[in-house]
Formats: sequence, C-alpha cells, structure tokens
Amino acid sequence: MRALNRAIDAPPAVDAVPATSPMAGLKWRAIGFVDVLAQSVGAIAPTAAAASTPALVVGQTGGSLLLCLLLAWLLVGGVSAAIKQFTQRMRAPGSLYTFTTKGLGPHAGFAAAFALVVGYGFVAMFGLVGAGMYAQNLVSTAGVHSGGWGAAAGVALFGAVCFVVLRRGIRLSARVTLVVELVAVALMLTLLGIVLSHADAAALTRPVTAGVPSPGHLAAGTAVAMAAFVGFESAAALGRETRRPFFAIPRTMRWTVLAVGFAYLASMYIQQVGTETFGLPLADNDLAMTQLAGHSGVPWMGRLVEFGQATSLVACAIASLTALSRVLFTLGREGVLPAAVGWADPLRGTPLVALAAVIPVTVAVPLVLLGIGWTPWHTMSALLVVSAVGYLTAYTLVCAAAPAFLRRIGELTPRVGVVASVAAAVLAVVVGVYLTVVARTQTLALWLVLALAGIGLGLYLWLRLTRRSRLAGMGLFDETTAADLLGADTLEGAGRV
Amino acid sequence: MTQRRADLTGRQPGAVLSALSVLEEVARAGPGVTARQISASLGLPRATAYRLLNLLVQDEYLVRLPDLSGFALGRKVALLAGLSVRQETEREIGAVLTAMRARIRGGVHLADLRGGNVGFLDVDEDFPLSDPDRITSDLKASAVGRLVLAERHRPANTEPAPYAMQVGVLVPGFGCCAVPIRDGAGRLVAAVALALPATRLADPPALASLLADDIRRLASVLESRP
Repeated sequence: MRALNRAIDAPPAVDAVPATSPMAGLKWRAIGFVDVLAQSVGAIAPTAAAASTPALVVGQTGGSLLLCLLLAWLLVGGVSAAIKQFTQRMRAPGSLYTFTTKGLGPHAGFAAAFALVVGYGFVAMFGLVGAGMYAQNLVSTAGVHSGGWGAAAGVALFGAVCFVVLRRGIRLSARVTLVVELVAVALMLTLLGIVLSHADAAALTRPVTAGVPSPGHLAAGTAVAMAAFVGFESAAALGRETRRPFFAIPRTMRWTVLAVGFAYLASMYIQQVGTETFGLPLADNDLAMTQLAGHSGVPWMGRLVEFGQATSLVACAIASLTALSRVLFTLGREGVLPAAVGWADPLRGTPLVALAAVIPVTVAVPLVLLGIGWTPWHTMSALLVVSAVGYLTAYTLVCAAAPAFLRRIGELTPRVGVVASVAAAVLAVVVGVYLTVVARTQTLALWLVLALAGIGLGLYLWLRLTRRSRLAGMGLFDETTAADLLGADTLEGAGRV
Repeated sequence: MTQRRADLTGRQPGAVLSALSVLEEVARAGPGVTARQISASLGLPRATAYRLLNLLVQDEYLVRLPDLSGFALGRKVALLAGLSVRQETEREIGAVLTAMRARIRGGVHLADLRGGNVGFLDVDEDFPLSDPDRITSDLKASAVGRLVLAERHRPANTEPAPYAMQVGVLVPGFGCCAVPIRDGAGRLVAAVALALPATRLADPPALASLLADDIRRLASVLESRP
C-alpha cells in the first residue's frame, strides 16, 4: 500500500478535470435510491400498463400471450443490460441520447435525442389525456355532464399540476409519484386476487397451453408487450441529482424490470383466466378489468382500480416530464437547442426554462387532437403508439452504441458485446414489425410518426447546415470535477447547487 | 448488484484484496491509467478487473476522468488513510520487537497500558505468558501491573519509576522486568516486559539501559498511531 499512502499524503495533480461540471445548476446529489426507483416506476405507469396490456397484446396475436410477454421481458432485460454499461460509468441527464452519442457519435446521437423527446413527450401527453378522461368519467358519474370539454379541461388542469410539482424539485415529484403508484398497484393486485378466486378449474390451465403464434404475430405481440415496459430507463436522466448514482441507477433499472415483469405476468394470466371463466371478450377490450370486477361481485373495486389507473397516469406524466426536461436541458447546454433551455432555477436546481417550454406543448397537442374531434380513447391510443415508436428507436440506438462505447474506452467484454448486439438487432426487427402493425390498425398514428420523423430529419439537416459545431459538441454529461478527486478540500456537496 | 456485494464480503475475501491492489495500482500508475492497463499490470482477468473498477467507482473510491477511460483516486480514498497508517504502525512495531528478540535470550512482550489497564499488543510466541488472566486482572502480580500501580500512586512532581519488577510471583525461579514507554506528554502508554530467569534479573538498571534505544523507537512509532 506504499503508493496509496504516498498518494493520500500528497495527492497527485490531475490534468483535464474541470472545476465545474457542464451540468452545474441542476441539483447535485439530492435524492436517494427510493426516489430514483419512484422515477422509473412512475414513468412505466405499471397499473395502467398491467390493466391494458393483455387486451392490446391479444388483439395482435392469436396464440400464447404469455410467450409474447416473456419475449418482451427478455428483450427489455437485454436493453437494460446495455444501458447499465453507461449508467455505471457516467452521469448523464441526457440519458439514452448522450449514451448513444458516446458510442455512435453525434449524428446517431441526434436521432436518439429526437426519438427520446418524442417518446417522453408523447407518453406525457398520453398520461394527461388519460387522467383527463378518467376525471371526466368520475365527474359524470356524479351527475355533471360536461360534454367534450371535460377531458380538455382535465388535460389543462393536470398539466398545471405537473408544472407546479416539477418546478418544486425532483424530490417532491418523485415522492408524489411513488405514493400514487404503490396505492394503485396494491389495489390492482387485490382485485386480481379476487378475480382468481372466482376462476373455474378448466380456465386455469388455458393460458399456459395456448399454441405458439406465427412468427409475424409473435413479433407484433412482443412489440406491443414491450410498450408496457418503456420508461424503466428514465432513472438514468437523474444521474447528477442522485446520491451514489453508479449504484442506485443500474440497480433501479434492474429491479424495476424484474418487478413489473412479474406484475404483468400475473395480470396477463389472471385476465385471461377471468375472461375465459366469465365468457368475456379480452381482445381490445379496454374495460376488461372493470367487467372482471363486476362479475366477481366487487364492482366498487373496479371503480377504485379505474381511479388508480387515473392517478397512475398523472404520475406517468410527471415522471416522463421529469426525464424529458433533463434531456432538453442537456440539449440546451450543448447549444443544439437555444441556450436558455439549459438554464436552471438557482434556488431549486430544477431545469425551469425546459419545463416552461415543454409543458405548454404537452398540453396543447392533446387539446388540438381533442379539438378536431378525436375521442379521448382514440387520442390516447394514437399518442401511445407514437411514444412507443420513439422509445423503441432510442432503445435500438443505445443497444447498438453500447459495444462501440465499450470498445472506445477499452472495456468491451464478449458477453456484453453479444447481448447488446443481439438486443439491437432484435429491436430493429421489432420496430419494423410494430410499424407494419400500426399501419394496419392505426393509420392516423402512422401518419403522426411519419410527420414527426420528417420534422426530426428537417431539424437535423438544418443543424448540419447552420450549427455544425454544436452538433459536433453533443455528448455533454456530468463529468468528474476537481471536487470529486482525492485531495479536494471541500466536504460533501459544499459549494455545489 | 446485491449478489456481487455478498460475494465480496463473504464468499470471496480475495476480492477485497484484489480491490485494494487495484487502488494501489491506480495510485502507482497515476491519474489517467486505463482499465486495460490495470488488468494487464495486475495480471487480473479483464472481466474481473472491469467489475472491480466499476465497484470502486460505484463507491467513489475511484473516479473516471472526463474521457471515461482513465481512472483517478476519488475523494473517499482519504478514508483509507487511518487503515494504512495502522498497518504501517503494526509493521514497524513488529520489526523493532523482532530485533530485540534476536538479541535477548528471554521473553520480550509489548504491553498496552493506556487508560491504566494491562493489555498486550504483542506477546513473544516462544515464551507464552504464564497466566494471562491473572496478569491483566491482578495488577500486583506482574511487573507491568506494578508499573501501572506505581504510576497511579506517584506523588505529583516526582520522577517516575524507570522500571518495575516481580520475581517468583507467577512462576518460581522466574521473574520479569517492565520498562515504561511514555508519550510526548509523559503519560504511561505501554511497556516492554522482559521475562527472564531470576538469576538474570539481578541488575535491573542495566537491563533498562540495554533497552533504551528500542524504547525510544517504540515510543515514536506508538506516538504516530491513530
């Protein structure tokens, strides 16, 4: 231990370590493991996803739902392993797009940034519309009929709630999310338990003995089931704001994927058994849970779970906007977006301008769609499709980036290289199949995806022509600073905001 | 992650040593050393080296430099300072005692007398203590205990005793001479005890002066103890 003793006595000078981080301004190490977990769980919205995924998957495949779910679970596990390679090595509020930039360079990085913004932005819109729709239903059962305006008013109201919570700081938003989500999941699992107690014996084995679907159906079902997991990676955006981030963030992603996977398995199995027992349709039946509650003799629980789904959707909007604002903040710091977007509230350490810019858009887009006559349910499913395409694209890019990144820093091992490459290849296929499914079932959503892809391409070309150096400067993250090194005289967090 | 930690603490104690050797290597090679270089110079399998590095980064003993491939020692390494000084102290004490034991035919023990109690920092393996329980509990029975008693009852402003003796109390025909070690403020902190046949204990002042150099060295090493 001689060299170590010498280094402790006289810490060596380290070149190339800045005094302040490029991400300075965002709160530093404010939240712990539980809050990070809440971020990922909130962004997934497991209650809403567990309730609706079985109906959506069975709409795509004639055969075994469980097989599709297991495949999706495995694939998400691969994505999680690829993202872990980054989250245990760097703290990046830009999360997946910064990771992609580090592996594949700024051009792929820009594609990932755009895909991620679409993913987070549209799922936040989905959450707001969903919460607005459930709120409208609740008001109308109380005898007040608001017509088409109820959902729109709900969207605006919940948008304002999101802004207030998010501006107050990451800690409060995470805590609110966690409480809401735990209550909602507990309610849903209780209801599923009651449904299972009413099941007849023959129906119990049916989900396990269902035939293997054709490859096309399998891929489509897997793609739809994958959408239920998206959001698990959003903890990565909180790298700077988390204590012991290299420990908390990879662990959060792993546990979240494991835990929601089990919840989905339970929900999928029991919904199949339940609909079989009571002779209800499951395919594309968005009221399956409510009907199951009614047939099991506990209709009030069905309404409670609906309420849980609504709150889960608000939590989902908050968590997605949390991650989205960090992504935009980073783009602002890099100069890809106007520098003002990279401004943080000096008192609260939150990306205030990014929030102020993005929340009105998140409220406006659903209002326009509702305004031109789309029903809330139709609007929600289109927004979810667009979001899922964005997420899956970003996942594909980050999986492809992981081996390249590890090779660049000289830390590539065969196992990680194979897992990430296989995940990237399978995901590319899944995205393609998903788009064909969307083209068949939701033409309007496909047009939205194409329009957004066009906007992204236009932005990219414009940046390439006029802001080339800023594009080249992408990939900023929360670097090690002088205060992190042995010999720094500042104590924990002193002088950092 | 949890699994890996269990491995480190329980089933693979060797991993802790590997982790320490990784820290030592980063200190030796200097800031900017890469994972590949560390695994090569330590002869560790690459996957093992990367895992250890990531664990050390996770707990902030190491940091990655902004290029993400180079490593440097993190602020938390300063917490290891106490540990390494303690190891160093033990090593130096061991060296002094080994030299004394080579020179003196008899038992050479180092007793810890801080707080007015008798404990042992280092017992001569070739000459085990005759009755350890009695020595630590009955201060009148042993030479080191008598040193503690003399210190306790010493009137103010008098010279402290240069040594204490016992002959035949614990083992007939054998005895012990204890020479005090004092800290910078003159407090009794330890003692060297020489266990010898009664016949060789006839001239205690000569024994004490024989040990004078060793006592001074031990005093300075113990002074630097955390």
